[in-house]
Amino acid sequence: MGNLKVNYTDVNGNTRLLENIDDGISLMEVAKANGIEGIYGDCGGGCACATCHVYVDQAWWDKTGGPDDIEFAMLDMVADVMRDNSRLGCQIKMSAELDGIAITVAPTSGA
Amino acid sequence: MATQTTEPRVSERLPLTADEQALLESGTLTDRGIQARPRAYYAAMRKGDPIHHDKGLNSWLVTRHEDILAVQSDPVTFSVNKGYHEIQARGMHDEFRQYLRDHGGGYFPDAIMSDPPYHTRIRKLMENAFTAHRVKELEPRITQVVHDLVASVADKGSCDAVKDIAVPITIRIIVEQLGLDPGIESKIARWSVAVTAQISAMQSREQMLENAAQIADLQNYIIGKMKERETDPREDMITDLVHAKVTNDDGTVEKLTFEEAVSLVRATLIAGNDTTATAIGNLFYVLTTKPGMADLLLEVVDDDRRLNRFIEEHIRNEPPVRALSRMCTRETVVNGTTIPEGAHMLLVYDSGNDDETVFPDPRTFDIERPNLGRHVGFGGGPHRCIGLALARMEVKVAAREIVKLLKNIKLAIPESEITYVPTVATHTIESLPITFERR
Repeated sequence: MGNLKVNYTDVNGNTRLLENIDDGISLMEVAKANGIEGIYGDCGGGCACATCHVYVDQAWWDKTGGPDDIEFAMLDMVADVMRDNSRLGCQIKMSAELDGIAITVAPTSGA
Repeated sequence: MATQTTEPRVSERLPLTADEQALLESGTLTDRGIQARPRAYYAAMRKGDPIHHDKGLNSWLVTRHEDILAVQSDPVTFSVNKGYHEIQARGMHDEFRQYLRDHGGGYFPDAIMSDPPYHTRIRKLMENAFTAHRVKELEPRITQVVHDLVASVADKGSCDAVKDIAVPITIRIIVEQLGLDPGIESKIARWSVAVTAQISAMQSREQMLENAAQIADLQNYIIGKMKERETDPREDMITDLVHAKVTNDDGTVEKLTFEEAVSLVRATLIAGNDTTATAIGNLFYVLTTKPGMADLLLEVVDDDRRLNRFIEEHIRNEPPVRALSRMCTRETVVNGTTIPEGAHMLLVYDSGNDDETVFPDPRTFDIERPNLGRHVGFGGGPHRCIGLALARMEVKVAAREIVKLLKNIKLAIPESEITYVPTVATHTIESLPITFERR
């Protein structure tokens, strides 16, 4: 069992501090394992569906960095809810550097 | 047993006109005319009877976007395993299965067309092969294959866009990826038709047996290749699957059974191949029949963001997979409609993609839609198309090479003469004669 933490705010605005998170696990997998509402991860972490869309707290953005071209292409498919701090949860892997990161689940793309 | 309600949501039904009512009463998705041009039938259902029992098909058609999402997010109540294997050789299961046991090395249920929790571990095993980043690495090779093929017809001035371009492109790519024998392509085309026909709900007994014979031939071929790779591993997907191990929830590791591996090689060879070819065939259809589409493609071809959006909107606008099956495992109310236990259902993706409450003015091809990712052309939920990144890449590269190598692409037959493969599962043009010039 790991010793990393994530402050995860689900799609309904409820925040939970998740602890004992392993190094190397993605923020999509963290959410699925902990029942965080609004994260589906349909494609299984393949950067191919945009159902694990999150906003990274601005204080952590320098550490996560932005999306690459492939990830941007998927985020662009949910442009109505994409923000400057959008990432796909499956593409951010936990590490000591990200210990305590604050993440908010993005709302589902709308009508 | 008490009726289960997935959610209390009931959305509005609008009154139908007399014509719409008549269409719902007399229409059926088994009608080849409706299969080919189904939009009025879908629109009437979406408007007044969104989960409609199609009597000709004996299946519940789920036509609104919101209801498709609700059903596919509950894979236990709405079983893919039972839905898929029920519609396969429908009404003739026992004979179909026995035929494959007698002639095709065995009957191998589709391991990926299963339900959680079993599905979850099979799916996890397959996902690594299909990530968007792995597919990106294949782009140069895919481009070469597609370029060579389109270039080989470019000076001819005419061809069949389905048989001479769309189908050979996807087959050549999967032959390379799996590590099959060059020269096997024409057989793969026949096998693909046979596998798809088994879920068409349109077969006579004679056709079922002909298709079963093709599937037996397919299985015997892949079993032979798998046995070769057991002793002589190579860098290809058959080798990966033959030697694949799955990790269970408790951390234990086990090898795929031989039956599972055969079914997964078969699914990899056929499932994505046929549907991606359909998407490329449908691309030629829109390029030759919808004003401005060829100019738009040329305009966006060197702008990666807009080209990606063009391809995604194409999948929304002309989804190759029309509808896939579920079986309701207990009496359930979905959006006010009671679905009986054991009932067969179809999630009608090309109706969901036309749902005007999600995609305003749905018949307009608009690459700037802000919610393109909402379309259900790849399904959704735990069964979302596993090969979607590869499919997108193949269609994108095809679009790019077509527009760079060909111009003045025109349909060589009247649009009204276009025929579609008789199936409820896909919306596949059988043959599309075109003329063109080399650019």
